[in-house]
Amino acid sequence: MNWTPFRAPALLLAASALFLPGRLAAQDDFMDFFDAPSGPELVTSTFKAGRIINVQSPETSGKGEMNFIIAHRFGRISDGAYALWGLDNAQMRMGLDYGLTDRLQVGVARSTFGKTLEANVKWRFVEQKKGGGSPVSLTGYSVLMRDGMRFPEDGIERLGVHRLSYVHQVVIARKFSPEFSLAVIPSLVHRNLVDQPARPNDVATVGTGFRYKLNQRLSVNGEYHVLLPRPIEDGLNNSLSLGLDIETGGHVFQLHITNSRGMFERSFLAETAGRWQDGDLYFGFNINRVFQVGDRR
Amino acid sequence: MKHAFPFLLLALASGWTADAQQFATREATISFLSETPIEDIQAESREASAIFDAGTGQLAFQVPILSFHFPKALMEEHFNENYMESEQFPKATFRGQVLDLDLAAEGAQAVRATGTLQMHGVSVERDIAGTMTRTEEGWTIATKFPVPCTDHDIDIPKVVSENIAEVIDVTLSATLLPR
Repeated sequence: MNWTPFRAPALLLAASALFLPGRLAAQDDFMDFFDAPSGPELVTSTFKAGRIINVQSPETSGKGEMNFIIAHRFGRISDGAYALWGLDNAQMRMGLDYGLTDRLQVGVARSTFGKTLEANVKWRFVEQKKGGGSPVSLTGYSVLMRDGMRFPEDGIERLGVHRLSYVHQVVIARKFSPEFSLAVIPSLVHRNLVDQPARPNDVATVGTGFRYKLNQRLSVNGEYHVLLPRPIEDGLNNSLSLGLDIETGGHVFQLHITNSRGMFERSFLAETAGRWQDGDLYFGFNINRVFQVGDRR
Repeated sequence: MKHAFPFLLLALASGWTADAQQFATREATISFLSETPIEDIQAESREASAIFDAGTGQLAFQVPILSFHFPKALMEEHFNENYMESEQFPKATFRGQVLDLDLAAEGAQAVRATGTLQMHGVSVERDIAGTMTRTEEGWTIATKFPVPCTDHDIDIPKVVSENIAEVIDVTLSATLLPR
């Protein structure tokens, strides 16, 4: 066969046709490089702040982060105009949380309610991950509370240890979408001393909380806690709170309405006396201000 | 068909060398800086991937948004939650073509890459200048380029507009080895 000029293009075409699939495959190979499994991805920012409203969220302060929380619960809204719908008298809680690691946080707080001093530790021991790994995050929270009120002079001998109470809980949380997160929170409350014979030293609660993001700055939050085993006539109620989270740069403002006035776990989980249907509602806020005080790495 | 043979051989050989001419890394570094009179915000990822095909001149980069780390945990949260929305848009990608590259040249040479920069779900055609250096084993690539936030629909609210620059400087460096 002799070489003829017009054969060359034909051959080229044949050759390129032969290698076209190969070329295409090579192109796919090229971007395939990025498809290599990169492992499960961490799910972050399930909630905005360390508390959904009253109860703990799975969020902890990042490593070296100091979170200053100042919270108020005003008086009963049903007190009316005379007390400016409760704004005339406020209960306050001041707290400091510090992140030892990105998942382990320690904190102290003082509430005017019962002059209560708190020490707490919070540890997110399982992270939610996408693409394999745990579908929920698990966060343990333990708080030691010390009632600071003077003992009544009723002739009954009380010891310092009687001032103490404890709450242990696990926050089981899942971020279902960038907007919606849900948590289920079982808790155990132990009081070294109770103020009424009808009240047991140990009670358990099961609660749930959610957040729904309206936009990047705003979310609606809610939580509800059921006080489990208890005598019917103890005058206590389940805690229900609804609120808004507003984020502005370094602050998170949480505004809410709740039937619990205490801001530490024993009080709102086990000793909520207000009833929504009776108008025993308290307006309140938490302000979270974050300072990076330690090194992140 | 004796004339067809060299052609086929050539095609075959070029096909093979094209494959052998791919260079890649999964440890490229991408950092960025937002500079304002109030504060400078800097973050870095060492988990970027890069691939370069010396045969075709194709170049691509990809970085997981969550792999950027900041000096403050809160910055990182805001970056992922409020600005990059990293759950919906987990990766930033550049895919393009290297121009002006002399494969045989020694030392660093100035090159351009034109292609698509995809970030925050928005693709923008870009022409980016950088340097490429042939090393014994592969290539090193370095570049610095500005990314205007508005190009990628990254919304900076007024309250923080004095803290976050409108144009972010992105710096990239990668050492690519044969794939």
